[in-house]
Amino acid sequence: MSQLIPPFDAHAVLVAPWTENVSLFGWIAAMGFCVASACGLVGNYLMLRRMALMGDAVSHSILPGLVVAFLVSGSRGTVPMFIGALSAGAITTVLIETIHKRTRVKQDAAIGIAFSTLFAIGVILTVTYAGQVDLDAECVLYGEIAFVPLEPMVRLGSLVLGPEPFFRMASVLLGVAVLVAAFYKELLVSSFDPGLAKSLGINPSIMHYGLMAALSVVVVSAFESVGAILVIAMLILPGATASLLTTRLPLVHGLSLVHAALSSWLGIALGVWLDCSLAAAMVVAGAGLFALAWIFSPREGLIARWRSHHEKLTPHSSQGIVSRDEVERSSLRST
Amino acid sequence: MTSDPVAPLEIHDVTVAYHRKPVLWGVDLVIPAGQLIGIVGPNGAGKSTLIKACMGLLPMQSGWVKIFGLPFSKVASRVGYVPQRESVDWDFPVNVMDVVLMGRYGRLGLLRRPSKTDRELARSCLEKVHLLPYANRQIANLSGGQQQRVFLARALAQEADLYFMDEPFAGVDAATESAIITVLRELRDRGKTILVVHHDLPTARQYFDQLLLLNMNVIAFGKTEEVFTAELLQKTYGGRLTILSEVAQALGAQSAPR
Amino acid sequence: MTRIWRILGPVLFLLLIPSALRAAGVRDLVETNWLEQIGRFFTFRDVAVRYVLAGSILLGLSCGLLGSFIVVRKMALVGDTLSHAVLPGVALGFLWNMTKDPLTILIGATIAGLVGTSLVSAITQTTRLKEDTALGLVLASFFAAGICLITMIQRLPTGNKSGLDKFLFGQAAALGADDVTLMAIVAVVAVGSVIAFYKELLATSFDPGFARASGLPADWIHHGLMLVLTASLVVALQAVGVVLVSAMLITPAAAAYLLTDRLHRLVVLAAFFGVLAGVAGAFLSFVGPSLPTGPLMVVGASTVFAAAFLFGPRHGVLARWWRQRSGMARTQRENTLKSMFHVIETNGFRAEGVTLTELALRRRETMEDVQRLGKKLARHGLATVTSDVLYFTPAGRQRASEIVRNHRLWELYLTNSANIAADHVHEDAEKIEHILGESVVRELERKLGYATVDPHGKSIPTPRAIHGDAGLVDETKGRRK
Repeated sequence: MSQLIPPFDAHAVLVAPWTENVSLFGWIAAMGFCVASACGLVGNYLMLRRMALMGDAVSHSILPGLVVAFLVSGSRGTVPMFIGALSAGAITTVLIETIHKRTRVKQDAAIGIAFSTLFAIGVILTVTYAGQVDLDAECVLYGEIAFVPLEPMVRLGSLVLGPEPFFRMASVLLGVAVLVAAFYKELLVSSFDPGLAKSLGINPSIMHYGLMAALSVVVVSAFESVGAILVIAMLILPGATASLLTTRLPLVHGLSLVHAALSSWLGIALGVWLDCSLAAAMVVAGAGLFALAWIFSPREGLIARWRSHHEKLTPHSSQGIVSRDEVERSSLRST
Repeated sequence: MTSDPVAPLEIHDVTVAYHRKPVLWGVDLVIPAGQLIGIVGPNGAGKSTLIKACMGLLPMQSGWVKIFGLPFSKVASRVGYVPQRESVDWDFPVNVMDVVLMGRYGRLGLLRRPSKTDRELARSCLEKVHLLPYANRQIANLSGGQQQRVFLARALAQEADLYFMDEPFAGVDAATESAIITVLRELRDRGKTILVVHHDLPTARQYFDQLLLLNMNVIAFGKTEEVFTAELLQKTYGGRLTILSEVAQALGAQSAPR
Repeated sequence: MTRIWRILGPVLFLLLIPSALRAAGVRDLVETNWLEQIGRFFTFRDVAVRYVLAGSILLGLSCGLLGSFIVVRKMALVGDTLSHAVLPGVALGFLWNMTKDPLTILIGATIAGLVGTSLVSAITQTTRLKEDTALGLVLASFFAAGICLITMIQRLPTGNKSGLDKFLFGQAAALGADDVTLMAIVAVVAVGSVIAFYKELLATSFDPGFARASGLPADWIHHGLMLVLTASLVVALQAVGVVLVSAMLITPAAAAYLLTDRLHRLVVLAAFFGVLAGVAGAFLSFVGPSLPTGPLMVVGASTVFAAAFLFGPRHGVLARWWRQRSGMARTQRENTLKSMFHVIETNGFRAEGVTLTELALRRRETMEDVQRLGKKLARHGLATVTSDVLYFTPAGRQRASEIVRNHRLWELYLTNSANIAADHVHEDAEKIEHILGESVVRELERKLGYATVDPHGKSIPTPRAIHGDAGLVDETKGRRK
């Protein structure tokens, strides 16, 4: 056991990465932040629409698209990657709809069948063409964010913008942020009440397919850093944690970004200490933040609930719902 | 047949809430035996919630319910239930007979299979609702009225003394409606007690011996002729919100995202 | 008796496959690589292969069996979460003894799975977060913790040979005697529980509210199912891998769901398909170049699903298309018969046959079309063609009269009961005439007081005319009011 968990050296874990190795860890942290932020922003809408399962599905089914893109284009360029991802996403959607709309198989099983089949095909292709495709099976699952700084740098003149994957991810983040800001009202209305959206002239299907496309782009950009499964965490954890702390959507978005930053930083600390996969460590850190919010949230946290559960019972009140004072106050307000 | 001196259903100060929003508030009620009783009220008044809380399907924030003087878990075999049609996935791979037989499961205990007597009883219940020719049909291939009658047959197979029914007349054809009310009246004549959540006021007046007017708490309960008055109905369904429902609205609004 | 056969039948079929293939191997007829491989695989000549085959069969059986309930309870996402959440438990189970001991791994993984699902319930019950969010959250977080542990273990001097990375995508070849023993135990427990508690499982899957109100222990059944499910998932992990094992739960059962309308048949069929997929995957991995077994088994299961989707006799896409096509063909034949009847009626029932020309004029079609129609009728035994004249066969005459009766009864009904103008009812009746069943027709006749004339004044063929042995009779001549 002592071998498994290295001794905790606070300096080595918390300070050293930023003072001695900032060129390495700086980019890793920045990448982690961009991935978690972009995924978090898109994931918030998945959460609102109860489509978290679609995030799971898209992240798995992108794999065969990527492999085919690599094989066909012979490169790891951005454009073939995006095309591969979007095509895979489209095929997934078609498959899911075919299965659950034409038979009595329900949507949850249809999604499971579709993405597991595509993922299985993807893995078989990856292993078969291992030489030609620069992916190994493990990387598919949990990525290798530690290698990001080793990628070729993108330069603008003499200005170093960052490693290629980072540059790509940062651009995606920017794009997502702009779209979220620009279509804020439309996304909000179509998520809550598609009927109302239609009557207001907003086409809910366009919103839906746009969201799916954004999801595919975000997932494929995040793929090589965090892999297919951890990206699901990045989609859900920031927004879930934020939802426990606030009910207002702009704040949820904002807190998601804070969560992304914190989990990147803490994840690096954890990963350096335990000498494990950095991407996995970032997710574990994010989950830890979620647990903290779950326990300590002033309104929804476990401690807050436990306290209100033990409130004294007064006449005309019911446990944890409302006290007599509140009833009297609101009745005064209504007259 | 000796009549039970204990009331079939006694509800005391029951409050039920969904996510901090109260749906039922301080409900007090004693239901007499051998009556066909309708529960009416506007949408969201808590009618389904009330019967579900009585059967322990929903948690109560306060109060208690006694069925024949005992908590529900001890008398489950004396209670029959017809849920709403929407509560079930009608693509489920079972046929009509399978569903009616499920009404006998509560009495069988673990590790026992339905016996021939159980099957005979199931067949006679199907016959009462005129569905015996459909015994082998998969339930997706039934009309809405037939599905409702399957649920009724299943409840009859439970051989209960107190029946809870959740909108059994919703969306059924006229023939099914008259078949159902015939069965219910026959049950009542045999001394059973039946509580029916009902959605339609005019027929409520026709069908039921007693009415419970419910809007988050009991507005009125008693003989249909006495309770079915304009004043009481206005109070139940009325345009002006009661203080209770205003508070409930305010509490609900607090929790919703903006 | 037939019910026993419905269960025994597939089981026997299952046993037939290895026996048949074994026989083929022993005879050693063909020298091709494939048959040799099949023979080697299925005749248990290699000790290691024995374990692989046995393991694949057992895991296919357990996963298919339990997957039926996952599919009908719409718990596919729960299955997916469970399969990912067990990973940290697998790592911890390995750490217990620093070996790949199947028992410690099973215990560790089961605990992790149960902790995960409890967390999901806790989150949904104590916060506003919905179930799908909670499931995805637990799925990814636990999986991440598992990856952390595995990458930490791989760092250790003994860790590199742990074989734990095989748990990600599955390697059936890694199955040993201990693994298979454990799988057998779990399979027996799974089959036993399903048989013993079948009616409770059925009731709680179909209508949990009613089941609970009946006094059935719905919560215990749910927890029990989750426990046995977790155990089956975990023993399948080594062969199928964490990521794809949930597909072995869902896909065979979904395929079975498409093929039957009764739950007990679904369960048996799902188990059978599970075995099929498992064996196919293991065999392909045995034959193929170092491909992980998990994806191959999943592709096998998906192929079975695709076959059920396309070729299923009741709900399959091809079957439906075929039924629709034959429905249209039947309608066309009946319309032709009807036209023949009309021609004969217009001629006052004097002639016995209808010339092709008369039919072509009546139907406003070409001679060639009408000839083809005549041949189709002849093929179905409804008419005979002799030198360009069509004659009814007894069956054809009966059907023609029925169609005409249905049409005219319906028109009369619409006119009388629904107060629709007489000139509007024709099209409606055109569609209805083909699908009215006997009981409905009798009801109609009764309601209309056994009327003999339709809104246009034409006579309605009576049952006597339809089933009688005389030729077509003009009924209005026979009755006078």
